[in-house]
Amino acid sequence: MKRGTRILSDADHRPEQRQPRQTLWQLVVAPTTWAVHFMLCYITAAVWCARFAGRDGPLAGPGRLIAVYTVVAVAIILVATWRAWRQHRWGQQAPPHDEATAGDRRRFLGLATLLLCELSLVATLFTAMVPALIGDCR
Amino acid sequence: MPIFEAFSILILPQLLGARDLPFPRLSAYGFWCFLIGGVFVCGSIFFNVAPAGGWFMYPPLTTQYQDGLGPDIWLLGLSFIEVASLAAAVELIVGVLKTRPPGMRINLMPLYAWYILVVGVMILFAFPPLIAGDLLFELERAFDWPFFDPARGGDPLLWQHLFWIFGHPEVYIIFLPSIALVAMIVPTFAQRPIVGYSWIVLAAVGTGFLSFGLWVHHMYTTGMPNISIGFFSAASEAVAISTGVQIFCFLATLLAGRLTRSVPMLFVAGALAIFVLGGLTGVMVALAPFDFQAHDTYFIVAHLHYVLIGGMLFPVAAGVHYFFPLATGKLLSPRLGRWAFWLMFIGFNVAFMPMHLTGLLGMPRRVYTYAPNLGFDTLNLISTVGAYVLAAGVAVLLFDVVRPRKKQPFAPRNPWQAGTLEWLAEMPPQSWGVRSIPVVRSRYPLWDQPGLMREVDTGRYFLPGAADGHRETLITTTLDAMPVQCQRVPGPTFKALWAALFTGGAFIFATFAWYSAALISAVLALAVILLWLWTGTSIIPEQEQKDVGLGLRLPLYESGRHSVGWWAMLITMIGDMSAFFSLVFGYLFYWTISADFPPAALPGPGIGWPVAALLLLLASWLLTLRARHDNREDRNVRYQLDLAASVLCGVAGAAALMAGPWFNGMRPTEHVYPAITWALVVWLTLHIGAGVIMQAYCMARRWRRRLTPQHDMDIQNIGLYWHFMALTAAVTVFTIAVFPLLTSAR
Amino acid sequence: MRQRLAVAVICSTAVVLFSLPIIAAALPQSTLHPAGRGAELIAGLFWWMAGGALLIWALVIGIAWYAQRTDRQPWSTTALRRFIIIGGAVFPTLVLTTLLVWGLWLLAPLRAEPGTDALRITVIGEQFWWRVRYPDGTDNQIELANELWLPVNEPVELLLQSRDVIHSFWVPALAGKMDMIPGRTTRLLLEPNRTGSFRGACAEYCGASHTFMALQVRVVERLQYEAWLAAQRAPAMMPTDALALAGANAFLRNGCGACHTIRGTAAGGRVGPDLTHVGSRLSLAAGTLTTDSDTLARWISHAPTIKPDARMPAFEVLPAAEITAMAAYLEALQ
Repeated sequence: MKRGTRILSDADHRPEQRQPRQTLWQLVVAPTTWAVHFMLCYITAAVWCARFAGRDGPLAGPGRLIAVYTVVAVAIILVATWRAWRQHRWGQQAPPHDEATAGDRRRFLGLATLLLCELSLVATLFTAMVPALIGDCR
Repeated sequence: MPIFEAFSILILPQLLGARDLPFPRLSAYGFWCFLIGGVFVCGSIFFNVAPAGGWFMYPPLTTQYQDGLGPDIWLLGLSFIEVASLAAAVELIVGVLKTRPPGMRINLMPLYAWYILVVGVMILFAFPPLIAGDLLFELERAFDWPFFDPARGGDPLLWQHLFWIFGHPEVYIIFLPSIALVAMIVPTFAQRPIVGYSWIVLAAVGTGFLSFGLWVHHMYTTGMPNISIGFFSAASEAVAISTGVQIFCFLATLLAGRLTRSVPMLFVAGALAIFVLGGLTGVMVALAPFDFQAHDTYFIVAHLHYVLIGGMLFPVAAGVHYFFPLATGKLLSPRLGRWAFWLMFIGFNVAFMPMHLTGLLGMPRRVYTYAPNLGFDTLNLISTVGAYVLAAGVAVLLFDVVRPRKKQPFAPRNPWQAGTLEWLAEMPPQSWGVRSIPVVRSRYPLWDQPGLMREVDTGRYFLPGAADGHRETLITTTLDAMPVQCQRVPGPTFKALWAALFTGGAFIFATFAWYSAALISAVLALAVILLWLWTGTSIIPEQEQKDVGLGLRLPLYESGRHSVGWWAMLITMIGDMSAFFSLVFGYLFYWTISADFPPAALPGPGIGWPVAALLLLLASWLLTLRARHDNREDRNVRYQLDLAASVLCGVAGAAALMAGPWFNGMRPTEHVYPAITWALVVWLTLHIGAGVIMQAYCMARRWRRRLTPQHDMDIQNIGLYWHFMALTAAVTVFTIAVFPLLTSAR
Repeated sequence: MRQRLAVAVICSTAVVLFSLPIIAAALPQSTLHPAGRGAELIAGLFWWMAGGALLIWALVIGIAWYAQRTDRQPWSTTALRRFIIIGGAVFPTLVLTTLLVWGLWLLAPLRAEPGTDALRITVIGEQFWWRVRYPDGTDNQIELANELWLPVNEPVELLLQSRDVIHSFWVPALAGKMDMIPGRTTRLLLEPNRTGSFRGACAEYCGASHTFMALQVRVVERLQYEAWLAAQRAPAMMPTDALALAGANAFLRNGCGACHTIRGTAAGGRVGPDLTHVGSRLSLAAGTLTTDSDTLARWISHAPTIKPDARMPAFEVLPAAEITAMAAYLEALQ
């Protein structure tokens, strides 16, 4: 290994390097799930009310669809949460994860992903709450 | 917006210890576009042709009831400026991801860079819908295509959707970079690392996403179904969580350390007091029922100023005080700073606090006078007094910034004892930025890496000199910032200015309906850009690798996904897709609101021509990919033949695409259905035009041996472009030809 | 610094003290003195939220104040983590969930279906006035302008439309606002629950005279409402005094009937407001002027000066005597 690379990686010779690959994309999995769920709910309800149900129509049909979307979205977010949790707990070190090591990078990205999962979960449940409280197309 | 982009392009390289961001000429182009467009739009007020439709420009007031140039200036001027913003977004995203100093892993990145990354991505998704909206709007104003005219099937609400899909994220695009300044300033004066780094990253990314689920809260009173209102109300409440977390992280940082008093911290404290109140009223108006009353009243005026002055102006003032030495080498006066702060803080609250009440008493927005005896008079008088005090404070701040300071000594290096890399800068600042690019091992390297400044100054790290006489910076990997390439960055050029001038001409002449002049200007802009690309990009280096210091040898040329150019193309095309899907959204929107869309009485584009077009365009795409492969195998003749064939297929595809609506007699002024079909067709045709030019460019590059089997950045990048063209073509043809069949069969 | 802070504190106290009587006063366009169920529900929500917001604000500022003190110990990492999790995440989530449930729950009563036999009034926004159509019990409608009379304690549904640009119908004392959008009909439920006079305004920027687009609402007992409606339904009476009679002739001779209707006369234009009972209106030019012969004369001669971009032309070229006569005639149209 050349000297320059060695300077960069001398803190990294730890077993945790053999973990599966992490990418920046994992940060956005949960919020993207929220976004897709949100748009699907909105479009489903809007199209249903505008094209099919009429102004006073009931929302039961799309309500069931939205429940299905929600179950799928929550499942995806929970899987992402679980994966992020494992990354975050790797090596059992507390924050702030500010060491120049691959391990701390992993733990940090795990924690950030985990927090985004929780925020997305809350936001998704907020969305799902809407048809539960609003019963018609008015 | 321009403040933030200027700030970021100035600060980011220093923050990352980089010599420069990867696309300085693109930044220059963006800057000139901003300047020309800004002067054009703002200057209109001196010629009495300023836009008068509100910043939201709701049709039909602006399409059918306002003559003159005002609305056109707004539409085309701002579209032009948006181009500049997109250019800056590309630069900033790639800058943050690829030009960090070696060792600055993603968990060590300064928070400012995190915010910039998020904001850059937000710009990509927020601005293009407005560009699409502007396109439809201008087509209606200039050529009478009835997108927003209900008499011919259009709907003014589509504009509101497209505008606010841009408009609400825009608020966060302004707010996040300013809060990023706070995230840099607070740790410095607490002399402690930020507490809750991961939480702030959560907040930045979360806000970036959630801010796209808020747009309808500007449209609660348009009579949408409760269910739609409810979804957006839910997202509007959720975004408050991610905003609130940041405040608590800042407070926690202060609690962890001991505060050093200073003018920047004073402004930060003022920002906190003001912004928190604005945030809380924001939570209130996010609830649709309260918004039914508060919408379009002075309550909203108060709310938005509390958010923007507290969330933008005060942090920017703090940032000006804090970063001023980086720009000039000298400090601003703390005495004047305190004066400015108290005048601004008191003036602001005196001006805007009463407006909450004025609004609740029933004063609508955008009125220039009002009836007596409604209780508005005295409150407005107080607001006016406050506004003057606020202005006095801003004047003191500006005076401090511009006053001559020849005799004032230079500030000491790192005057605030900050921990982040930008304070490596020498006083006065030097044109090369950092003397050598350091290896970073901490979030606050100046605190945690003793001797770093001396080692950087003595050139102990990477790229200490410019042995080859080129401007160079390091490209590193996204997650772990391992150095992978030595990127040569170009120097100053007039081509960027000329390109901006001609691009501006294309927009500005179109404002005055001088379409031939606009067309000529556009062609000239294209020519200059091609010349700029030909002479300034993908230059084959004189050696494959070079020693960047510390015994590390790095390649000088990379292509494909290892190159910054490929990332820039990817990012640009994501923005392009978001504009395109906004048009598709428009098509589906018309279908949703009308039981008779597509109208049974009007002709469609048929199925034959569009499908033929799709097949030809897919062929053009595949041939381009094969040419890319040919080049790598060094089969020159087949490469040229494949590209020539792809050009032919592209042109034929565009022709077939236009033939469908043309031969079926779809007249865009007749109804919104032919109009939106034509809009999609024209959009795709223009993109194919660009794609064909790229293909021809690659033929020429190979012919002139500027493109070789190893140095194939050009064909790699246009291959990427054509991936997106294939997608655009498929979606367009599905929308205009297949979708009507599906819905009429039902 | 302490002095400046003192100034800030004194200023804010003064502002608060000053605003209390304004909040207490019953102003005609205020959201804080509801006279209808919708406005009442929203005002209740507002007061709770405003109280909570002030409390939270004070709390955050208190923490910041404490944090900047130098005579305290720095907090431990565990305490800080707890601080962020509870203060920054858990507490806001709970508060926001509560608010969201409340807000969503309110939507249903605010936008309920008032029943098929409820009074339905059509209001059409135009630059810069309100065309109002009451059902008259048969298939016909009575066309009025710029004012609504409503029976107290009865739900009313407004059908809102626009003839030109987007307007927004807003009577703060009764309910929230609702946009009037060309090509669409939006609906607004009003349930006035106390009698009185209230003022409304256009809440969406609609052009140069947006600020002069107001309307008057009078909530009265059922009997009074019916009497008023009957009076409005009747055609115009021919005036008895000479000046007004001359005005009636001048009105027709000068072609005012091309734009305005006066039921019972030859004037049948549909462009401008119906003037059959203009003299009895609570205001002139959509809340811009009071209704008397002076203001009527000023309006006839200088409408575009009073209200920029209004479609009513200036008739200052007419002889002053004719304008006076027309004003007298219109004032007599009770």
